Amino acid sequence: MNPLVELNNITVKAQNKTILDIPEFQICAGEFLGIMGPNGAGKSTLLKVLAFLEKQSGGEILYRGKVIPKGNVPLELRRKFSIALQQSLLLDGTVFHNIAIGLTLRKLPKGDIKDKVAHWLELFGISHLAKKNALYLSGGEAQRVNLARAMIVEPEILFLDEPFSALDFPTKIKLMEDFKGIIETARTTAVFVSHDLMEINYLTNRLAIIVNGEVKQSGPTPRVLEHPNSSTASFLNEWKKFYPLAR
Amino acid sequence: MLRKRYFTVLFALMLLVLSACGNTDTKDTAAAKEKKTAPKPAPTEMILATTTSTQDSGLLDVLVPMFEKENNVKVKTIAVGTGQALEMGTKGEADVLLVHAPAAEKEVVDAGNAINYKRVMYNDFILVGPKENPAGVSGDDIKAAFKKLADSKATFVSRGDDSGTHKKELGIWTAENIKPAGDWYVSTGQGMGQTLQVAAEKKGYVLTDRATWLAQEKNLDTLQIVVEGGKDLMNIYHVMQVNPEKHDKVNSKDAEKFVNFMIDSKTQDVIEEFGKKEYGQSLFFKYTE
Amino acid sequence: MELLIDGIKKAIDMILSGDREVFAITWLTLKVCLISILISTFIGLPLGIFLGLTRFKGRRILLLFINIGMGLPPVVAGLWITMLLWRSGPLGDLTLLYSPTAIVMAQILVSLPIVTSLTCTAFQQISEKMLLQIKALGATRMQTLIILIKQLKIAILAAIMAGFGRVIAEVGAAMMVGGNILGDTRILTTTIVMEVSKGNFDIALALSFILLSLALLITAALTFLQQRKRIS
Ligand SMILES: Nc1ncnc2c1ncn2[C@@H]1O[C@H](COP(=O)(O)OP(=O)(O)OP(=O)(O)O)[C@@H](O)[C@H]1O
Ligand SMILES: [Mg+2]
Repeated sequence: MNPLVELNNITVKAQNKTILDIPEFQICAGEFLGIMGPNGAGKSTLLKVLAFLEKQSGGEILYRGKVIPKGNVPLELRRKFSIALQQSLLLDGTVFHNIAIGLTLRKLPKGDIKDKVAHWLELFGISHLAKKNALYLSGGEAQRVNLARAMIVEPEILFLDEPFSALDFPTKIKLMEDFKGIIETARTTAVFVSHDLMEINYLTNRLAIIVNGEVKQSGPTPRVLEHPNSSTASFLNEWKKFYPLAR
Repeated sequence: MLRKRYFTVLFALMLLVLSACGNTDTKDTAAAKEKKTAPKPAPTEMILATTTSTQDSGLLDVLVPMFEKENNVKVKTIAVGTGQALEMGTKGEADVLLVHAPAAEKEVVDAGNAINYKRVMYNDFILVGPKENPAGVSGDDIKAAFKKLADSKATFVSRGDDSGTHKKELGIWTAENIKPAGDWYVSTGQGMGQTLQVAAEKKGYVLTDRATWLAQEKNLDTLQIVVEGGKDLMNIYHVMQVNPEKHDKVNSKDAEKFVNFMIDSKTQDVIEEFGKKEYGQSLFFKYTE
Repeated sequence: MELLIDGIKKAIDMILSGDREVFAITWLTLKVCLISILISTFIGLPLGIFLGLTRFKGRRILLLFINIGMGLPPVVAGLWITMLLWRSGPLGDLTLLYSPTAIVMAQILVSLPIVTSLTCTAFQQISEKMLLQIKALGATRMQTLIILIKQLKIAILAAIMAGFGRVIAEVGAAMMVGGNILGDTRILTTTIVMEVSKGNFDIALALSFILLSLALLITAALTFLQQRKRIS
């Protein structure tokens, strides 16, 4: 399988401290990749590097086998990806306006935007919120808007940084179920950072564990969870103690 | 996407005002008031530095338009304290001066900073004080009155702003060898009008020019004239040109015309007529050499 | 109390009778103030945005000076502009002293720091994450800027209003650099000072009402723009 995005000897430094050091790493088309690791391990940084939103200090990043010059990422390439973070970070305006923004920025015709927004509002079950101000939504509603906003541009890769972690349990379950259906239908490739083994278990088919800025283990999610290696065992076994659900 | 328009509207509004300002030149408003004259070459500009009290009397509002019309000059009248007016002359920041502090003027003329020094007119200073007159001063002898004020420590309000009136007041204290200081001596650092207001509030004595007094009397019902008429109370105005040899940007052509205009007999008549209608008496008197 | 009623009466009288001089003075005030705030906005807004969104060496020092500038006493601004424009000063050849342009210059000097600093404060509060999110939505630099300006409309208009308040209230500098010349540089505030010094409290009071109405009108327009259409 040809990788979509490929990292080669990537390092990221901040104030003389290496926060990411990755000899090689790939995202392949169609996979739902999970990333786990302790706080400060470098997960968010890796996500930003993969999405061409943060410049690496060293090494190269390839898109479909082509090296992308550092600091000179073509706009069309950036626009192939989208991102949803833990905070919904919605703008002051209607829900409609918020979901439409990616398309507005890509200067789609107004009619098309209207149709598409209506479609995605429907898929995420928030059509009734279209005219509300996005700043007055509940956390669950806001996160649905956030995900719809990221999905509407039909990204080649969707990057997610703990999008469900601030939701209460029932809300989380409901949204995750809806989301899983949507992403499977759209066949979107996704990279998903999370601290929750249940989320990882439910959504991802490949898992990478990051500790101290290094990828310590990666492989199919069930295999990594069942057979942690020496450097990931301590992290994963802590989890399993409280969370027998993991196979 | 309606929001996009707010800023467009805002900026469009401001641009509109800006363009409106562009085509109505500021000078139009001034010219409109003085009734448009036949097409003439653009007027030259002349800066007249004078004192606040002179401007406040309203005399210049009559004289300056007359001069402007006759000579196709735009006069910029800057009303400041006497000290600043003389300094503007010394620095060459003005073209012609109309002031009333003979001793200070003399220094400027002697130093060669001003030329064509001409006496124009006078009005008089008066001493006003509270109606109760606690110091019991009267008559026309200002020096005696000042001595009495100092002895009785009656409240005295001074302008303290280096103006012609202030200089006059200091001259009288010095002549009597008095150093005015203490609780009874209040220095406002403000113009004549405000100083009179302060005097009215504090029930103090104050030296003022008659023109300002007449214009403000209506607001000052706790005060009255207590000393007037003496020779020491004469307030003499001089006009002079800034020396063009010292500063190359000075407009000496129009300045000279202005000096001549001020001592012209026709102008002198206008000066003496001024104020008669409103106050029933002249505010300024002919006093050329 | 009597004076107050007299003042209001006189103000209405002045406006209704279409007193030419009052009209000219009011118009000049409006023009001078709007031009000043317009220029301050055109410079201060981009400068404030730049200072709010970027980090570079010397930025803090620059901000410090701008913040000090917010408290710059108008008479100090007036004095500086006067000395700059003196015939013997560096810009003497332009003969701008005692002209409306000089007033505009002084008013820009006192309002520019306010507009810049308040704009900068607003933009500085935008989180790194929000910037990242907007970029990730596919925005170019220009599009990001437009989104941010729209998001911060309220704060930006507040900055402009604060600057305008400074400009229209300003008298010390206008007096010094303008000279309060009838029909040329006499604006409402300087006229009020002059009329007070002449003891014409009724006229001064009337003019103060006109000045207030003017300030009210402009501020109301800006407030309307600021508070318009907030969807709930
Ligand atoms: N701009 C920066 N300057 C300095 N240090 C930084 C910067 N950005 C990130 N770091 C550091 O890099 C490390 C990794 O940060 P990152 O946000 O990628 O962690 P994370 O794995 O996402 O953690 P969390 O689980 O808490 O979200 C942290 O120690 C962080 O403090
Ligand atoms: Mg993180």
